[in-house]
Amino acid sequence: MRSGERRLLAAAIVGLALGGCATAAGPTGEPKAAGGAVPVARDPLASRHRDQALALERDGQLRRAAEEWKIVLTITPADSRARESLRALQAKIDEQVAARIDEGRKALARGVQLEARRKFLAALALDPANRAAFDALQTSTREVEFLTHTVRAGDTLSSLAQRYYGDRSRSEVIWETNQLPPNPRLTPGTSLKIPEIPGVPFVHPEARRPAPPVAAVPTPDVPRPGPAPAPTGPAPKEEYTPEVNPLLAEAREALERSDYPDAIGTVDRYLASKPGDREGLTLKKQALYGQARSQLDAKQYPESIQSLTLLTRLQPDYEDASALLRQARARIIEQHYTQGVRFYREEKLKEAIAEWRVVLEMDPANANARRNIDQAERLLRGLEQRMKK
Amino acid sequence: MMTHRPRRRPLALAALALLLGACATASTPETARPPGAAEPSRPGPRPAAYESEDFVVTFAQPGDTPATLAARYLGGADRAWMIEDYTGLQAFSPGQEVVIPRRPWDLSGVTPGGYQIVPILTYHNLGDQAKGRLVLAAASFREQMQYLKTNGYRVVSLADFIEFTHLGRQLPQKAVVLTFDDGYRSFKDFAYPVLKDLGFTATLFIYTDWVGAGRGALSWNDLRELSAAGFDVQAHTKSHADLRRAHGETEAQYTRRMQAELEQPQELFNKNLGRRSQILAYPYGRWEEGLLPKVQQYGYVAAFSVRRQGNASFVRPLAAHRSQIYSEMTLDDFVKNLNVYQEENLR
Repeated sequence: MRSGERRLLAAAIVGLALGGCATAAGPTGEPKAAGGAVPVARDPLASRHRDQALALERDGQLRRAAEEWKIVLTITPADSRARESLRALQAKIDEQVAARIDEGRKALARGVQLEARRKFLAALALDPANRAAFDALQTSTREVEFLTHTVRAGDTLSSLAQRYYGDRSRSEVIWETNQLPPNPRLTPGTSLKIPEIPGVPFVHPEARRPAPPVAAVPTPDVPRPGPAPAPTGPAPKEEYTPEVNPLLAEAREALERSDYPDAIGTVDRYLASKPGDREGLTLKKQALYGQARSQLDAKQYPESIQSLTLLTRLQPDYEDASALLRQARARIIEQHYTQGVRFYREEKLKEAIAEWRVVLEMDPANANARRNIDQAERLLRGLEQRMKK
Repeated sequence: MMTHRPRRRPLALAALALLLGACATASTPETARPPGAAEPSRPGPRPAAYESEDFVVTFAQPGDTPATLAARYLGGADRAWMIEDYTGLQAFSPGQEVVIPRRPWDLSGVTPGGYQIVPILTYHNLGDQAKGRLVLAAASFREQMQYLKTNGYRVVSLADFIEFTHLGRQLPQKAVVLTFDDGYRSFKDFAYPVLKDLGFTATLFIYTDWVGAGRGALSWNDLRELSAAGFDVQAHTKSHADLRRAHGETEAQYTRRMQAELEQPQELFNKNLGRRSQILAYPYGRWEEGLLPKVQQYGYVAAFSVRRQGNASFVRPLAAHRSQIYSEMTLDDFVKNLNVYQEENLR
């Protein structure tokens, strides 16, 4: 537990109080450590920690309460009531931790990474050495919160980093997150993901989404720290779009885990209610593009062409989509052409001709295919005539 | 820009009330001392303490500091941070109660108010004068290191950090890691003396084609000496090429290239330092998902980009982050890279 500052004042007060009482509070015949006196009687000392444990527990600060019980037991190991209190508290903690992990897993199963992440973090906040929560956080929940910025004329990565993080050099994070080319020129109207950087508050007070409530325990007196002040003053509101629509968020999460069909399906549902919405369309294009690339990588050329065709219908000049389309078509043509050659060698002339016809359909100017077909047809005719004879 | 954990005054006030109550009882001699008990004895050679496997509860003697208490109860003065972090105090007045944790109490660094993040700083070349972005003036370097010392940062080894990412080691709340890329000779000339002075450790990420390649490069002999002096040496590939699959590169070509970039350094490490490298710095900080299995295949357990952010314990070890320190950065710019805590309501 992070007790540094929290213990500062309390400990200082202990020091002062002890200074005041030390002379009066002599040893009470209690056991003491080797060689030295115990300057404070065991019971008052233990009872202070006992009271603190109870107060913390009442306040819902279970982890710190458990530590205090352990301190009580360090001072008075035979205190069976303290031992029982610690046992009961530990059971309560274990129960809450298990519930949070369970909720996290369910959120993961629904594909809602951000919620899962918060649940696992909340489990660790109660039990910081919990292996299950830690592993789930490390391996399954990669997304962090982010907002979307629509590029305006004059924006640079540095100016955006200054605007959102108060630090121009954080432009590298925006660059990496958005997988931009070196020294990119930002096109007005396109969207950029501005991720949360742990330890760096968003400068805009409105920028940070309020975290949904996580815990079952009450939170009476620990105020959530407010958003950081905005040293650069408020910016025009239309320059950034806080993430609010759950369908969009869901689609974005699907995109993040490279589940493109899910992302496309979800964003289509969103677009059904908001046709032409720029953010939705941007997301759909990203998903189609990602899907096309992964299909290309998996050598699923027809599927890839289908994705790219949909994409170029939405935006003909989207990134290198038209180049990819040409590439995918070239690969398919190559596949059919090679398959034709293979059939030809096996003397399956009709099959070979069929493959090359596909090539010609896709690429009417393909002279090799045309020549091969002519040759195969001649051979075929010759064979047929010989058969007739 | 450094984020601190929030203090909790209500608790302290509650403690005050409790203490006043306790003081009132204790100040009555009749209740404090049973009849016939001896006069309070003088402190012996070792101060009194209550001890369990979880905690030591003791009382500061004149001259006690976190370091003396850590040496006495935790087996070494270098564990003073445990006492400082747990109590939030760096000094004690005589008689003051000190609760010393004996075991890690926050392995993952996650608390109800947020979670710990560890900045890993990356330097390249150093010189008398700054030159370009990546040659930092030696004076600026000293100033930055001094800032860390003065402001209570604890420089920890990269190996300790890796253990932190495996839930195997708690780190000080203000832990920072220092790394130096490429293997410039200037490390020995400029960084080494400063780090030695301040008692800081660091990791050098070297790309093996550069080792011994000229006057500006460290040799294997230098690296052996630095290892013996307590500095860590790890791999930065063979040729410092971008490890992502190039456009048009076939699977076979890529596999061959990765073998050269990732395995050849291992052979050279074995031959020259008698061990393999376990940690990799991606050249230019660039990586992609498809690369990670290959990195793992060649025996690396952690690898680093240069995405400018700190690392939570639960960062993916093969995709952890470092922050590059450039020569043009002012001390204020430098400090912006030292955030050690992310506030988030996790109750």
